[in-house]
Amino acid sequence: MSLVPGLGLVRGMALTLRRFFEPKATIRYPEVQADIPPKFRGRLQLLYDEYGTLKCETCFQCAQACPIECIDMGGMDTKGRFHVHWGAAETYGERREESALRRSGRTVPDPAYDHFEGVDVGPVDDILETFDHDPAHLLPILEATQAHYGYLPVGALKRISQVTGTWYAQIYGTASFYGHLRFEPPTVTAQATAISERRPDEAAFLASLGASLTGRPGGDA
Amino acid sequence: MTDATILKTPKGWPAILLPRTAPADATDLDAAMTAGAFSGLRLVMRDLGATGTTAAIGASGLRGRGGAGYPAADKWRSASATEASSRVVVANGYGADPSSVTDRILMERNPFAVIEGLAITAFAIGAAEAIIAVRADATTTIRVLEAAVAAAQDAGLVGNDAFGPGRHLDMTVRTVQGAYLLGEETILLKALEGKRGQPEQRPPHPATRGLRGLPTVVHNVQTLAAIPWIVVNGSEAFAKIGAAECPGTILVQVRGPEASGVAEVPMGTKLRDVAGLAGTPSGARSLKAVLVGGPSGGILPPDALDIPYTFDALKSAGAHIGSGSVIVADDRACIVDLARVLTRYCADEACGKTIPCRIGTRRLSEIGDRLAFGTSRAGDLDLLTDLASDIVGSALCDHERLTTLPLVSGMRYFRAELDEHLERSSCPAGVCHPIAMTAGATH
Ligand SMILES: Cc1cc2nc3c(=O)[nH]c(=O)nc-3n(C[C@H](O)[C@H](O)[C@H](O)COP(=O)(O)O)c2cc1C
Ligand code: SF4
Ligand code: FES
Repeated sequence: MSLVPGLGLVRGMALTLRRFFEPKATIRYPEVQADIPPKFRGRLQLLYDEYGTLKCETCFQCAQACPIECIDMGGMDTKGRFHVHWGAAETYGERREESALRRSGRTVPDPAYDHFEGVDVGPVDDILETFDHDPAHLLPILEATQAHYGYLPVGALKRISQVTGTWYAQIYGTASFYGHLRFEPPTVTAQATAISERRPDEAAFLASLGASLTGRPGGDA
Repeated sequence: MTDATILKTPKGWPAILLPRTAPADATDLDAAMTAGAFSGLRLVMRDLGATGTTAAIGASGLRGRGGAGYPAADKWRSASATEASSRVVVANGYGADPSSVTDRILMERNPFAVIEGLAITAFAIGAAEAIIAVRADATTTIRVLEAAVAAAQDAGLVGNDAFGPGRHLDMTVRTVQGAYLLGEETILLKALEGKRGQPEQRPPHPATRGLRGLPTVVHNVQTLAAIPWIVVNGSEAFAKIGAAECPGTILVQVRGPEASGVAEVPMGTKLRDVAGLAGTPSGARSLKAVLVGGPSGGILPPDALDIPYTFDALKSAGAHIGSGSVIVADDRACIVDLARVLTRYCADEACGKTIPCRIGTRRLSEIGDRLAFGTSRAGDLDLLTDLASDIVGSALCDHERLTTLPLVSGMRYFRAELDEHLERSSCPAGVCHPIAMTAGATH
């Protein structure tokens, strides 16, 4: 209790007033976009729905996205089956459908799943054969796979995971680190363009260094 | 930009790494052996022995040319002292800095020196496996190295029973690509193991626990190429060259107003003379700064140019030898813009493993952007100082620490120019946008 009656109230209002005139942290998304580090993945938190049930569906997507394998999981899926690590190809698709249905009552065509379209994995088996099915040769294996398909199809990565026993999360995490490996066909997509703009290559760096040294008269001198 | 020409240097400068006249065919083993290649290896195997060789390298004072300047013999000793079934030597020929081709030139012109250096190191630490790691896009370098290794193998200098019956040295050329950080030794080892390229906590250093858990000595190719010379000519002869605390020569990629290329420079040469190999700005242009160390280099002013080109002197000046790149900037350049470009590249190349790496370098780069784009906030320079010291204090690998150098050295030496940006939103060089050009800008 303050000795002067109402002082607390005045203090509170003063704080409000001060905050009112401080610069705003809010930006006008999407016109203005925050500069997010390319490796940023957001805060990890498991959420509960309004009935207190864990929202996690054991879909393994977070383990798949984590580039340094700090997330991996084992657990019961929505059919009560126990899974450790990345499940088999069919399981994944099955659970995806199921979740979509459960959420909205119908299947939702989602371009995000285009990547999961099947590919002929025969060539992957041949590549793995050449490298002795040895995960120590993961980089050359991925490079050969990309040389064959033009990119790294999810189906091919899953095949590598199944055959070599390497966690999918590790394969994906490795592949996503190296600039020359890509997950999209070489045809230009909005995503590929966005990625290359966020992560300038060596040539872009050299050009902007040259431009900076010459006072930027329209680029390198 | 990354000029591969060899710059003319004063006559009296020693040529240890790059022969004065380029051989007609660098992969011709017979010609190279006539010129003395592999006589060091013979001496080591016949007379010096493993301990003698390590002692000789220790006495020569050879320090690693990869950037950190760690004494070579110390790495060898910790590798040999570690109990292991086998050991590995890796030649780091990645050449991370896209504006420097020093290592590539060395491997193309003098591949047998690198191979012999690798073999001597392997013999000294008891390694049976040697790997030369090169960038996958350096196709000429790869071709030369593969031919040279094959020739050395045919001659029995490396390969089965290279060090006597039952003592093999398996030597391979491995290509890596796809990230700036592959130059860092623990990351390079990760890539060679087919893993994601992120650094490891040290200790244990690779010399005690490296590739597949085996003690691994990683050396820059220049360090390796100096080793045969030391063995043949003696430690004292080497210790006399260059600076007392880091003897020998180093390859420098100099870019200046008149020329751009690679030069072999004795350690301890005045920075002014190193930069001067590519000419000094003349006429309407004046020398404004010298960028020393590559993308994460320090930006030094003209009056700092009397310091010697050594690991320690550059470090205390706020720069580093790094990739061996020395770039002259004349008065057209804006320090803020230059520091911003460099910091952004380094932040984008950071691996994302730790918080200083993932977030610290990014915040650093944003401060640079704010200065250049005229949106600075009060206290940005204090923030920069604090952030930089936090990053240096808590970083996992050197990349984050070095990423602070462009902005910190810019602030240390060009404070007035930073203040112009910060307080008056003006760029004295007339480079930064959208800041208005001010009087005095001449383009
Ligand atoms: C970001 C970063 C990049 C590096 N790039 C290279 C490089 O391109 N080539 C190299 O030899 N060393 C590079 N290094 C230094 C290596 O980590 C390592 O210290 C060196 O290869 C050891 O060889 P040395 O004993 O001959 O110096 C780099 C270090 C860092 C932190
Ligand atoms: S390592 Fe995994 S959990 Fe950590 S930030 Fe990256 S993606 Fe997220
Ligand atoms: S660059 Fe990421 S930890 Fe050093």
